[in-house]
Amino acid sequence: MYQPLLANRYLGSRIIPLIAVAAVALCVGLVIIVVSVMSGFLDMLLNSGRTLMGDVIIRYADPGIPHYDLLIEEIESRPEALAATPVVESFGLLKLPYGNRTEGVQVWGIDPASFDQVVDFKDSLVWTDTPPEVRKFAEDMNGLEIPVFDELPRLDPGSAGGDPGVILGVEIDSAAKVRRMDGSYEVKAPAFWMPFRDVEITLIPISTSGALEKPDNRRFDVANEFQSGVYQIDSRRAMIGLETGQRMLGLEAAPIYDTRLLDETGELERIGTYPARVQMVLVRAADGVSPEALRDAVNLAYAAFAARIDDEDAMTIRPPDQAFVGIRTWREQLRDLIGPVEKERELMRILFSIVYLVCAGLVLSIFWSIVHEKTRDIGILRAIGASRPGVLGVFLAYGLVIGLVGAVLGALLGWTVVVNINAIHEAMGEPAPGWTWITAFSLAAVMLATAIHAGLRGGMLRTLLSIVGALLLSGVGTALLLHQGFLMWDPAVYYFNSIPNQVDWSSAILTMAGAIVFSVLGAAIPAAKAADTDPVKALRYE
Amino acid sequence: MNASHDQSSSDAAREPVLVASELRKTYRMGRVPVLVLKDASIEVRSGEWIAILGASGSGKSTLLHLLGGLDRPDRDGGMIRFEGRRVSDFGGAELNTYRNRSVGFVFQFYHLLPELSVLENAMLPCLVPNRWFSATLPLLAAVIGGGVGAAVGSTFGVEILPTADAPTPSKIALLALTCGVLGAAIGVVLFQLGQVLAERSRLRHGPQAAISRHTLEEFGLGHRLRHRPSQLSGGERQRTAIARALASEPSILMADEPTGNLDATTGRDILDLLKKRHDAGLTIVMVTHDPAVAEYADRIVRLEDGRVVESRA
Ligand SMILES: Nc1ncnc2c1ncn2[C@@H]1O[C@H](COP(=O)(O)OP(=O)(O)OP(=O)(O)O)[C@@H](O)[C@H]1O
Ligand SMILES: [Mg+2]
Repeated sequence: MYQPLLANRYLGSRIIPLIAVAAVALCVGLVIIVVSVMSGFLDMLLNSGRTLMGDVIIRYADPGIPHYDLLIEEIESRPEALAATPVVESFGLLKLPYGNRTEGVQVWGIDPASFDQVVDFKDSLVWTDTPPEVRKFAEDMNGLEIPVFDELPRLDPGSAGGDPGVILGVEIDSAAKVRRMDGSYEVKAPAFWMPFRDVEITLIPISTSGALEKPDNRRFDVANEFQSGVYQIDSRRAMIGLETGQRMLGLEAAPIYDTRLLDETGELERIGTYPARVQMVLVRAADGVSPEALRDAVNLAYAAFAARIDDEDAMTIRPPDQAFVGIRTWREQLRDLIGPVEKERELMRILFSIVYLVCAGLVLSIFWSIVHEKTRDIGILRAIGASRPGVLGVFLAYGLVIGLVGAVLGALLGWTVVVNINAIHEAMGEPAPGWTWITAFSLAAVMLATAIHAGLRGGMLRTLLSIVGALLLSGVGTALLLHQGFLMWDPAVYYFNSIPNQVDWSSAILTMAGAIVFSVLGAAIPAAKAADTDPVKALRYE
Repeated sequence: MNASHDQSSSDAAREPVLVASELRKTYRMGRVPVLVLKDASIEVRSGEWIAILGASGSGKSTLLHLLGGLDRPDRDGGMIRFEGRRVSDFGGAELNTYRNRSVGFVFQFYHLLPELSVLENAMLPCLVPNRWFSATLPLLAAVIGGGVGAAVGSTFGVEILPTADAPTPSKIALLALTCGVLGAAIGVVLFQLGQVLAERSRLRHGPQAAISRHTLEEFGLGHRLRHRPSQLSGGERQRTAIARALASEPSILMADEPTGNLDATTGRDILDLLKKRHDAGLTIVMVTHDPAVAEYADRIVRLEDGRVVESRA
């Protein structure tokens, strides 16, 4: 068998196979990087959506859903549902403790324990311990109380009294801390560190008839900060206790009095209770249950819940008609966010197919010229009795090795870039360190010296290459020197506070397989053409 | 016209191995057809040395290519018989065997493979015939690798799908397919690698290597075995080419101007080598424009005006 021998020799000789490997590797790497980042974005978006609001959301704006505890009981009795939690929601004003700053925020009133069961809230809390730099500051200020972080903070003051707690989105305050590369936070100005401080929140209740009522303003202890990973949420949302929220928004349970009696006896007679309400119930699916299946189950549960209330006392406040209640999966709820990203991904896919085809064409043409040069060899082999498939085998092996090595190197390249993409991005945001351009200029000087030396001795190629190298290096040096750093990826513009750094291995494998197929085809097509011609014609090729 | 009618009785007693009758060959230069061979007929008897003498451009190479099965005559342009069988009727496999085992061809311009050593070039004809395993084993490696890849892909494929993509059967199938392609590629490349390593010593010390080594040593190239053709002189290259032509111990050696590019002394050395082989029983068909070279042959024919004309007994 001569195929492995010859393929091996072709691969080992001259620089062309290396160029082909490099071309394949670059194409594969490029495709992997772009696809990984793009699908990483969609993944992050979807995952964060899910961790923000569970699998299914029941929503009914003011005046909200009464008897929600019964609804939750009904839902949790279904096997499709794992847990459900009530949430009140309103827009409010947040006054920060410094700089006289007041921000518009979205306030959620949550029950931390059940909320955590639905969305794993614990995992998104930023502070589990007081950072050392803050401890030191507290000691210097002697007597400043170091906060203790509960696994899940209590937000409602309860019977003990005291200020209620709030958990702020981590990007609301940007004065005290900076985010490190790994996503954790370093406290730069401990004096402004939020858990030391109080904030004021103002909410405006809406009456059952829809009118605005007197604003309610309260002071909150900052219990912790949370990070969902979605900038829009982290910079806008504050979590307070469910009861506090209900009270501030006028959604708490209230007695109903008969006002007709007021004139006769001068006293109000209590004739019932207006139940507490929430605007949202978030539901988490049991393991292996799709959001869509859960949505159907929740629909049934809601119908059962409404029927159950109907059977009770006629005086009771009834839940809103199911037709007006939104029961949606998180995917439906986030449609406005997901839609554009999915479209963008489709667009990328199209652009990508074009890049992919261009790469394929590049690989094909490189192989074409390599194999074309071997036409005479093919003629020789055919003349001494090698079969057409046999000759083809040499070039199949050749293309296969180049394709496989290129694909593996490309995957490594793509993986390295994707995993370090945040560090690379960070580095590009800074001016280049001095040693980089000093090195570039020194190398350029060496190149120039080589060029002069080679020129004096009459070596044209070395002179030319050295001059080109010197020019390139000094260009790079100048660029590094002038580079002031720019942030391509401003988290205020994009949804996420870091670039996805997970390789999409399914696309990567597809790309690698494609690279191999195109390499093999690229080598095999011209080889097959040469093997098909009579040996004499192939031999005549010079 | 059969050129071998008036043969000496000793030659006539021998079997004709190769008979070509009324060969016609036309080249097309653009629209203009150039008739190079018109009814050229020649008979080659076992054990003889024929020299075909002709001016440059008379069609000597063309004729030899036809005889060696490297090119085909025009449609209905005569026929060639080798040991009674029509060469023009040969199928692909038979033609390959004919080129490989029946004929040894020495080209006008050496035509050695530049990436192979002298020894490898010389033994190449012994390496090229297809064996039952030369396609089966790589295919087997591809199938095993592909199967493993596809199995891995369909089992673990779900885990590497992005969460945004629902694991539909078609996506899993695509993953299994692509993993299969990767697996097949890895399987074949590993097989090739093993093959290269396994054959390394066989290429230097196997029985076929021994034969070629012997021939090359006889040709005075014993110290050049591992050199590349580009490192050899013209005479050395031609001797390598002749060693290659003799590697598979063919019935007929066909030599196209074996001394054409060499000086007189080197040319004589080479002709002496051929003579030694001829004395040992080798049939030779040699093409040359040089009457002095033709003198080495038993019989000389001339190629004139596209026809073969008997010249001397
Ligand atoms: N592929 C081709 N296309 C067109 N014309 C060709 C082709 N091959 C050969 N010829 C022509 O056919 C004629 C015979 O060519 P051939 O190579 O057989 O000559 P030759 O006798 O071997 O000459 P030389 O002694 O120079 O090698 C020449 O005139 C040549 O130009
Ligand atoms: Mg010629």
